[in-house]
Amino acid sequence: MFNQIFKYYIKAFLCVLVCVSCTKDVDFNQFNDLQLTPVFESSLVYIDEPANKFLVNGNETSYLQDSVNIDFFNDSFVVDHLVKAEFLLETTNSINRSFIVEVDMFDDSNQLQHRFSFSSSGSPDHSPLVTEHLEVFENDALEALKNTTKLVFTLYILPGEPINENTIGRITLKSKGSFYLKIER
Amino acid sequence: MIKKHIFIIIILVSCFALSQNKQILYGFSDIPQALLLNPGGKVTNDWYFGIPLLSHIHVNVGTTGSTVYDVFANDGRDFNLKLQNAIYSMKSNDFLSINEQLEVFSGGFKIGPSYEKDKYISFGLYQEFDFIGYFPKDYAILAYEGNQSNINRVFKASDFNAKAELISVFHVGYNKKVNKNFTFGVRGKIYSSIMNANSTNNKGYFITVDGTNNFYDHIFNLDLELRTSGLTSLTGDNANSETALKDIKKRLFLGGNLGLGFDVGFTYQLNKQWMVDASLQDVGFIRHTKDVENYKVEGNYVFEGVNPLFPETGTGQTAEDYWNEIKTQFEDVFVVDTTYTKYTTWRPEKLNVSVNYTFGEKTSQECNCLIPDGGYQNAIGLQLFAVNRPRQPQLALTAYYYRRIFKGLQAKATYTLDSYTLSNIGLGVSANIGNLNFYVMADNFLEYQNVYNAQSVSLQLGFNYIFKKHED
Repeated sequence: MFNQIFKYYIKAFLCVLVCVSCTKDVDFNQFNDLQLTPVFESSLVYIDEPANKFLVNGNETSYLQDSVNIDFFNDSFVVDHLVKAEFLLETTNSINRSFIVEVDMFDDSNQLQHRFSFSSSGSPDHSPLVTEHLEVFENDALEALKNTTKLVFTLYILPGEPINENTIGRITLKSKGSFYLKIER
Repeated sequence: MIKKHIFIIIILVSCFALSQNKQILYGFSDIPQALLLNPGGKVTNDWYFGIPLLSHIHVNVGTTGSTVYDVFANDGRDFNLKLQNAIYSMKSNDFLSINEQLEVFSGGFKIGPSYEKDKYISFGLYQEFDFIGYFPKDYAILAYEGNQSNINRVFKASDFNAKAELISVFHVGYNKKVNKNFTFGVRGKIYSSIMNANSTNNKGYFITVDGTNNFYDHIFNLDLELRTSGLTSLTGDNANSETALKDIKKRLFLGGNLGLGFDVGFTYQLNKQWMVDASLQDVGFIRHTKDVENYKVEGNYVFEGVNPLFPETGTGQTAEDYWNEIKTQFEDVFVVDTTYTKYTTWRPEKLNVSVNYTFGEKTSQECNCLIPDGGYQNAIGLQLFAVNRPRQPQLALTAYYYRRIFKGLQAKATYTLDSYTLSNIGLGVSANIGNLNFYVMADNFLEYQNVYNAQSVSLQLGFNYIFKKHED
């Protein structure tokens, strides 16, 4: 019975529609041309450490290191639609020691996929010195990013005036990612 | 000055919209289905029955935003550019509305002492589909541009606002002519909801602002819910088309989620030529208790990135605690909770009010005199229609001209102001061939030249078998 309802209904509806209406040329296949190109930005990691964080049991350490496991870059949506990415890292250093910031990117089987680093100069008068680094991911680097499931951050402290409990200054790191997507039918 | 007037008119008109408006049928007392719009309307027949499944077919589709033609015209212009224009030109109050009704059966008859049958009983069962969806502007902008160019812009969660329902309605109406000037009526309704989905009360926002510890703070404050009934059993793993069809049939005949409602209305003859009437339809609710499944996203979260080094500093928190906390906070907000809480929906109440003036008494060619009780041949009037919608009531104002062309053929032309267009002209005719009555009506005639470019299209038609003792 339900089928009949629809049969009658559609027939009657079409009859009336055909009798009274005309249409102009439309092309619904144009939907296949759909292309969205949004750009999303997100904060990534941040660090804010005073000079004396580089003391372990009273002795100066040559680096600080930790890692972040991340399932975002290898997500199938990202893999399919990410066409370019940029990481902007900004350090503000008021310690009278220079640093190297290094980011190592590993895949699931712990294979290094990509590595980048930059230096942040020491500040002899402890005024905040800002250093920026822009890492662009395109082509091979983009593929490396899409394989990445672990980021390792290392802060190397370069030789200079020894650090003790009273050493002045701190180092901060801010970072954000810009993700250029291209979504097509 | 003129500019100001135009502005005021545009503002006024943008509040007007027709949807579920049957401005041509309203007050068209030659058609029995007019009693569904005003149970206290004038009754002109002794009894009738609707031809099953064909007695009332109604479709109304309307959009206040861009039309299908705006986006899909085969004009060689870049599709994405046209889409972009549509997204940027539409507002979050723009909507798409679809309303469809199909009468399964209906009938009515006069009752009372044989010398004065002043009461009328009508009844029937009809199926109705109703959808309204507002344009989710902020979601569209976020998907289209991303947040990079929208730092500090608030993306409102409430921009997602839509509801759809498929119901059947069993109804019985009582109409009483109290005296020659006053008629009133009521109609009781039992609703059976076949399917329902609604998400009309979303709150919260997403915003990216400059942060303190990092470049940005991403603030999520979300309270979103989609409630459904009658869908899970049809779409679930155990569902197949055979059982689904059986289920739908059962629900069509009062086997769904049930509700109650009523219509009331009256007609009052002020004097021989002036008449006012009004009705309130679908004051009622549906209680959704069976086959309910709701989805909810709720929570607050501020994301500023993560601190990979020594997160335990100062607070005694271990690195593991730190990671677990971030994970929990994320899940609290973004993992969709499924609940089975029963809920109640209210039917969209509708109000009709009209003022009517009749003129042009019928003269007999035989004696060149007025036929007593022959009635007037013309009527003009104003009708106001309002329907309660999730965001704001929608209104439509109609001026009409009604004419009895000759015995058994009546016509009504309408001009309606609504938010879709300023040139909504409608036309309806009702014809009797013997006892068989046929009516058809449609509005927005000027837009039928290109249906794809129409902001709204409305059609009603039907067949009845009508019996009258006193034909005029």
